[in-house]
Amino acid sequence: MFRVVLKREILHNLYSLRFLIALALVIVVFAAGAITFAKSHAADLEQYRQIQGQFLENMRELAARNATELAVRRQTYSLKPRANAFIADAKDRHLPNAVEFSAWNVFSFQNKSGSANPFLRRSDELSWAFITALIVSFIALLFTFDAVSGEKESKTLALSLANPVSRGTLLAGKLASAVLSVMAIVMAGALTSLVAVLVLGPGDSTAALAAEVPGFLAVAALLAATFAAFGLLASVVARSSNVSLLIALAVWLAFAVAVPNSSIFVAKTFFPIESSEAVQKNVTAAFDDLSKNAPPGSWSMNSGEPFLPQHELRANLQMKRLLAEKGIRDAYYQAMFRQFERTRLLTAVSPVALFDYLTEAVAGGGYLRFRKAWDDLHVYQGQLLGFFKALDAADKDSPHWYNPNENVSTTRKPVAFERVPQFEERPLALADRVGPALKYLIINVFLLSAVYFLAFIAFVRYDVR
Amino acid sequence: MIATIVRKEFLTNLVSPRFAIGFVLCLVLIPFSILINVSSYRERTAQYRVDRDAAEKAAAEVRVYSRLRPEVVLPPEPLSVFGKGISDQVGNRVRIWLGDKPLLAAGKTAAGDNPFLASFVSVDFVEVAAIIFSLLALIFSYDAFTREKEDGTLKLVMSNPVGRSTALAGKLLGILTTLLPVLVFSFLLGAVLILLARDVAFPAVDWGRIALLFALSLIYLAVFVFIGLLVSARSRSSVTSLVMCLFLWVLLVFIIPVVAASFAGGFVRIDSRDNLERVLRDLDTERDDKIKQAFKAQGIPEGWSCWWCMSDRDGMMEVYGNSRADFEMFRRRAMTSEPIRLEYADKRWASQKAYLDSLARQARAAERLSFVSPTGVFRTVAAAVCRTDLAAHGRLMDGARRYRETFISWLQGKNIFASFAWLTPADPAAFLTDDQLVEKRTGGEFKTSRDYEAWAEKQTDWRARWGKLNQAKLRGDSPDDFPFLDLSDMPRFQDRSGTLLSGLGSTAVDVGLLLVEAVLLFYLGFVAFIRFDVR
Repeated sequence: MFRVVLKREILHNLYSLRFLIALALVIVVFAAGAITFAKSHAADLEQYRQIQGQFLENMRELAARNATELAVRRQTYSLKPRANAFIADAKDRHLPNAVEFSAWNVFSFQNKSGSANPFLRRSDELSWAFITALIVSFIALLFTFDAVSGEKESKTLALSLANPVSRGTLLAGKLASAVLSVMAIVMAGALTSLVAVLVLGPGDSTAALAAEVPGFLAVAALLAATFAAFGLLASVVARSSNVSLLIALAVWLAFAVAVPNSSIFVAKTFFPIESSEAVQKNVTAAFDDLSKNAPPGSWSMNSGEPFLPQHELRANLQMKRLLAEKGIRDAYYQAMFRQFERTRLLTAVSPVALFDYLTEAVAGGGYLRFRKAWDDLHVYQGQLLGFFKALDAADKDSPHWYNPNENVSTTRKPVAFERVPQFEERPLALADRVGPALKYLIINVFLLSAVYFLAFIAFVRYDVR
Repeated sequence: MIATIVRKEFLTNLVSPRFAIGFVLCLVLIPFSILINVSSYRERTAQYRVDRDAAEKAAAEVRVYSRLRPEVVLPPEPLSVFGKGISDQVGNRVRIWLGDKPLLAAGKTAAGDNPFLASFVSVDFVEVAAIIFSLLALIFSYDAFTREKEDGTLKLVMSNPVGRSTALAGKLLGILTTLLPVLVFSFLLGAVLILLARDVAFPAVDWGRIALLFALSLIYLAVFVFIGLLVSARSRSSVTSLVMCLFLWVLLVFIIPVVAASFAGGFVRIDSRDNLERVLRDLDTERDDKIKQAFKAQGIPEGWSCWWCMSDRDGMMEVYGNSRADFEMFRRRAMTSEPIRLEYADKRWASQKAYLDSLARQARAAERLSFVSPTGVFRTVAAAVCRTDLAAHGRLMDGARRYRETFISWLQGKNIFASFAWLTPADPAAFLTDDQLVEKRTGGEFKTSRDYEAWAEKQTDWRARWGKLNQAKLRGDSPDDFPFLDLSDMPRFQDRSGTLLSGLGSTAVDVGLLLVEAVLLFYLGFVAFIRFDVR
């Protein structure tokens, strides 16, 4: 019986005007997104190649000068433009995308100036995630808002239920058909976009795409189902389809516009963090304290004479300064991560926000990717330090007084660039994506079930006459 | 007759659930947007005070002119509570350097202290208005003709001695009289919330601008009512009309602006920031070489040593306790290097300007493309009305650049690069020679600096060498011996607050576009209704 209902509902959807308009709209927008992505991604890649070339050139120069220079100079590693950003841009352009490190510490991160145009009014990028979040949620509501109230108005509801079909089956059939119809539209759009990107793009797509596309579609189906459930709920609580439409629109505005747009307010109001000025003040105070308590002569330096006894004091002082600053800053970064994650969790009441976070995990971009690169860079920094210490230990002309900031009292021998360990950013593994996304997935499934259950209860009590 | 129709329409709309729900939507979303933006404005004001105090303190506590680098701190725009435009994407601080013209403002953006928050966006009143008013306009007009046709009342209406144009005008006025209270209510709500927020103060001119915003919203609303009427007159049934209207709404309000920005991002590229930095670095090297050459040509020695000095980038130099000859050397250095620095600021600006222009070009391209949708026009004009658009920011930055010129002319008017006051607060008449300095500092132990050098060469411990020179404290050897500069005549940055219509000249065309759109849509709707089959 379920199949009969499903077939009827799907055919009903397929022949409807809204399906045709949605299909045309989605395909056009997906194609437009793919074309602009292909165009801008190629340019971004070109720019990135220059930056990366300079980064390596700089490292090579430092290595040729000497190993200590290589160890103490701060270098900036930039994240590569993501080849699958057309699936979900995950706000990459606005998030930190460059990390400053030396062999002694991973210092800071920043959003490179020039990543986003500050004069261009902030708007979303035309990725699959954006189009889907906006249009799919909307179409799913459009397909369902009159599923019950509309049938009641056209008097077919009573007829349908006169058949040996339970109310649960009918409702499930309506939900499934809405999801399937919406997904047909999304798949058509995604296919168009995929072909366009593969043909027009710079051709740096990876094999992982084969898993990411189905993953995206699955998440999109979850979004469609959630909104379809809201639509059904709106449809059974209202007597006329007009009212259910208005309720559905209000729900949509609340989830797609109000909740995501309140995130910054939520973050600053409920999870405030220290100001950067205060943190800077703490660092300065710690520095002053260290300098005050340092033994006399700690600031002496004669770079021509590595074994000058004061250099050991200087190295100690510099090391203490580095550790003190690292402690304060790392704690601040943790506070930032916490603030961000808690804000996300609080805004996860909106299926649109949930969808955003889930697609970020599917595409392996945005915050997740940054955190992974940030952690990996710490590992790499450890390797680089180990490498440097081994070089220093092998050098008899070095006093081995580790100074993390200056080239004074450690090895002055050049090192072959080929031997220097290089950082390679690895794409997020499955576990790295599923782990953080799991809580959002659970929330989403819970939300879907709760809303569907409410709709079911309301439908069971619904007066079909 | 028309009054009857208007009255009927108005009453029908008023009792309909859509009126109630639309009202509730405004009641929820408008305060939501205002409160969020008041809180953000409050935060930016607090930050502004901190920044301004820091800048004032830094500018007041200098003893020599070469350390003077005033910082312009731009106060947040009160109207940003209504339309934030790009005001929270650009910074609020501009430092005035000698060797560099202000490029982009520094300072915190919407994300504040946590850069990850930049991945979230936030709406303002204008945005909410653009979404809600268009939706309400469509919701009230999509079934203007189709519903009555389905109910069979349209025939009845038309059987009365009433022309189609009268019927249409009645419909239109009926819808507008229903929506007008909602619009007025939304603005009043916003205004009340602003009045209740103690720390947001609008000058009278700004209330005038809110009135302009209201007028603009009215035009915008009308455009969407006409769209709804047109669709309704061209549709066979209410459901078709509704679906069409809703898709049009999503397309015009949500999709086209994003597509416009995307296309601008992909096809109107901005120059590479890294390239700019490289060019500027090269220019800096060239400048430093040129300064070195000039020193050599004038016989100024390359290195320098001093008793107490502080040197920093951009030619900052503060010197104490030196001999007359050394002071003279520093003076000649500054006299030579600073004009070259100023000259290179102009050279740097050529590249910087090209970069800025590319940013502005992209932003304008996105704006122009978004004009396909009335929402794009509405947003652009609203940002201009709220003084938070690119043009307003550009005016402020131009003001900062002009202020730099004023500041430099002020310095030059004092002939300061050639003056000792550039690098030391000490009185030139009281400068001592090397020998006098050594004699005084060593308490008369050495009569000339040559004697001291001869003795010092034999010492192995540098601390003993310095100790000798510290035997007598000499007035003028350290900064603490001097008061801060009196800068009462220094020019200050002035942000000329505009009149009601200032800066809106260029948007007149955009408003004109919106009006033409409205008239055209109305005409099309009119024609469509004339040809409408009422049976």
